[in-house]
Amino acid sequence: MANNSFAFDGGVRVKKNSGWRLFFQTVIARAYPRLIGQQREKSWMFFDIFLPMLGVSAYVFVYRALNAPEDYIGFVVVGGAMTAFWMNVLWSMSSQLYWEKEQGNLALYIMSPNSMMAVLLGMALGGMVATTLRALVIMLLGTFLFHVQYAVVSFWQLLAVFLLAMTALYGMGMMAASFYLLLSREAWHISSLATEPVFLVSGFYFPIKSFSFWVAAAASIIPLTFGLDAMRQLVFPSGASLGFLSVPVEIGGLVVLCIVFLVGARYLLAYMERLAIREGRLTESRR
Amino acid sequence: MTAISPTSPEQLPAAPRQAFWRSFKIAAWLGWQIESNWADPFLFAIYSLIKPLASAAILVVMYSVITQADFESPVFSYIFLGNAFYTYVGAVMTGLSWAIIDDREHYKTLKYMYIAPINVPIYLAGRGVAKFLVASISVLITILFGVAFLRLRINLLEVDWLLFLVALLLGVLMLATMGLLLAGLNLLIAHHYGAWGEAVAGALYLFSGAIFPLEVLPVWLRPVGFAMPVTYWLELLRRALVGSVAQAFPTLSALSNLQLLGILAGLTVVFGLASIFAFRWCEHRARERGMIDMVTNY
Amino acid sequence: MNFAIQTEKLGRIYKIRGSKKSEPRQLIALENVDLQIQRGELFGLLGPNGAGKTTLIKILTTLLAPTSGKALVAGFDVAAQPQMVRPRINMVSGGESSGYGLLTVRENLWMFSQFYGIPSKVANQRIKQLLEIVGLQDRTNAKSSDLSTGLRQKMNIVRGFMTDPDVLFLDEPTLGLDVGASREVRRFVRGWVDENPERTLLLTTHYMVEADELCDRVAIINQGRVLACDTPAKLKHQLQKEAIFRLEVSPLNGLGIEAFQRLPGVNQVTHSPQDGSALLQFILAEEQVLASVVNTLTAHNIRILNLQKSEPTLEDVFVHLVGQSMEEVERSGQ
Repeated sequence: MANNSFAFDGGVRVKKNSGWRLFFQTVIARAYPRLIGQQREKSWMFFDIFLPMLGVSAYVFVYRALNAPEDYIGFVVVGGAMTAFWMNVLWSMSSQLYWEKEQGNLALYIMSPNSMMAVLLGMALGGMVATTLRALVIMLLGTFLFHVQYAVVSFWQLLAVFLLAMTALYGMGMMAASFYLLLSREAWHISSLATEPVFLVSGFYFPIKSFSFWVAAAASIIPLTFGLDAMRQLVFPSGASLGFLSVPVEIGGLVVLCIVFLVGARYLLAYMERLAIREGRLTESRR
Repeated sequence: MTAISPTSPEQLPAAPRQAFWRSFKIAAWLGWQIESNWADPFLFAIYSLIKPLASAAILVVMYSVITQADFESPVFSYIFLGNAFYTYVGAVMTGLSWAIIDDREHYKTLKYMYIAPINVPIYLAGRGVAKFLVASISVLITILFGVAFLRLRINLLEVDWLLFLVALLLGVLMLATMGLLLAGLNLLIAHHYGAWGEAVAGALYLFSGAIFPLEVLPVWLRPVGFAMPVTYWLELLRRALVGSVAQAFPTLSALSNLQLLGILAGLTVVFGLASIFAFRWCEHRARERGMIDMVTNY
Repeated sequence: MNFAIQTEKLGRIYKIRGSKKSEPRQLIALENVDLQIQRGELFGLLGPNGAGKTTLIKILTTLLAPTSGKALVAGFDVAAQPQMVRPRINMVSGGESSGYGLLTVRENLWMFSQFYGIPSKVANQRIKQLLEIVGLQDRTNAKSSDLSTGLRQKMNIVRGFMTDPDVLFLDEPTLGLDVGASREVRRFVRGWVDENPERTLLLTTHYMVEADELCDRVAIINQGRVLACDTPAKLKHQLQKEAIFRLEVSPLNGLGIEAFQRLPGVNQVTHSPQDGSALLQFILAEEQVLASVVNTLTAHNIRILNLQKSEPTLEDVFVHLVGQSMEEVERSGQ
């Protein structure tokens, strides 16, 4: 070592932030690895943008092969763009805690005085650059390549739907993340299991009005169900006739989901943390 | 000081063929342990059931919405069977390629595999066996569901079983070579994007004629589909199972079964050689850059 | 009471999932652990692998709930008030691989500092200082995935100290470090505690030398139970009440050993003439008697060439308490 005589900080105590300051510091700090990682390892541009674009295109061509009305092509493009956010919630937030547990970081997060919600929000925001870029590229490229025509009814309603859907979705993601405090490898498989069923019941590629009322209503617990349905109604000429419920009702539903999921996330995270601590699951490694 | 001279390979006993079989056998056993031990059998069964059915259901609903549920049409059989067997594409490619990330980053055993006297590509193929078996269950369930509930017409007496088995095995071999290519690339990238077997499979969906005929693609994209071995593989499986219905979209109707098999075999060899070359190159690069044992999780 | 850590009949039982009927269904990791660690103390927890050291640390750092008993850290209950405990503690484990491989050393450390609410400017200053102290200043901008095990452990050590905890838990902190680095870490650890009487440090180790050298007090733990708790000197003294010294001195030049035998507290002395020197072995009633021996030698112009104290080690204490050496306990799998 460079220094033979001991001298560190003279025993002077460090003044630390708490409350909302600590919350925001945590959010920024946890978003940082994601943002920097995207700079330093740029392969995500290929995996997270180009490849999904090809996957979305496949569904477009299915509709073309079936001679579907052109609005359905638009449904696929919009749905395909929104898959980016669902995948971000599922893989970059919820099940990320599984990887954190394996690495040993989860114990350090729990042990520090920050809030788990702040850590999760940081993860989500950190991934948001890539996610938003993916969604935008799919929207723009899809619109251009497949000549999608839009007829926006109300921009402000559209913005409200999008923001509320995102808030509720990420709240739901935080609730789901709490289960990962308890689970190990099965959590990864459960995330994998949740991918396609949500695409199906939330109507990513078709109007949920195709389902019976009660199936569609049950599916509305997933924020993207209302979100996509409202967006279709606001953006496509035939959207209104294919909508499940009216846009104002769906906006109301999203508001309720926001509150339920955010409040639920707070309590469920705290409860699951206590349960995981009691059962000794926070630091186990059951690969 | 005496000069050092390495032992020449001729002085060593020939590497036993058993090393290949040993690598494969142990890897297959290990792959199955990893794939199957994360849940009790009931939950594992639920997982194996729901995942493929949900994927098929998306297409079924899309089809149903547009055609008013015309499941009698041969077009439906074309789409349904293509999608069902496409499950193998993601599963086998991921099975091989994900093993690199899993062993390197999570179990941290990849370095031990590399210093052991095993054949790593064969080891990876063995690791893919478990995913192949799970995918087989998914494919079977999906087809049974189609037969039971969606009027999918498969007459067991009319199935060309020989063609089916040969095509299936050749196709799985072809998919394994593609998985090996991805595995090589995985040696050089961070953990976060290691599961791109499924992502590539999702992309290939576009070019394989799995769920729509290649004629629907723009003219300039069709050659990509014709260059993909998956296209011929799916066509062979459809022909083996449902014969005349496979001609709902006559893209490849000019080619006989034997010709299709020949093309599939040829493309498998080409992809196989390319994959082995690419894998070895990636290995070399990974060794140069000290990446065999890197941990990148973020 | 000025206790940094207090435990009262602390216990932890693990349920073993999926075990066969012939195997025990539960594992008693800790049983009736009573400890009181003063503020400002550098306290050691010594025991073989599987003794329960890490389980105890996990409970005290709010990562694991006890199944019985109570534990207070910095005055707060770890089970009932974890949010009050966490701002005041930190932990470093040996061999941990925390952080993110794609971030540099500095970035990883900065990130963790933010989770404790430390302003960035202050955090960066402390990180810089600590990296210099542990000898990692040249690797500040290296990606942590490029670090060797030992350098990674140094980074982890910085992570533990930079948040200025009231109570710091070090769980086998010198694991993976070379001899020189281990020595420097031990020196730093001692200095850190001495610098501020508000700081307390709990160190677990299975290296006897480390516990002996560093700790104010040591608890010996085996199979989840604390077998003894005292200063290293007193623990060793329990085994051997007398102090044994071997001195190599210049030739006695006619001075007989009776001169030493007459000194109060000298129980036994032996003399072995060597070529150009003499070997004297003393068994003294207590250590302080050595001063009168040295005075006697000095008074007769006899130079001391070498002085060695021979006494029981903590390993001997462990063997005395458990009946087996630490290696034997580990080999038998507890």
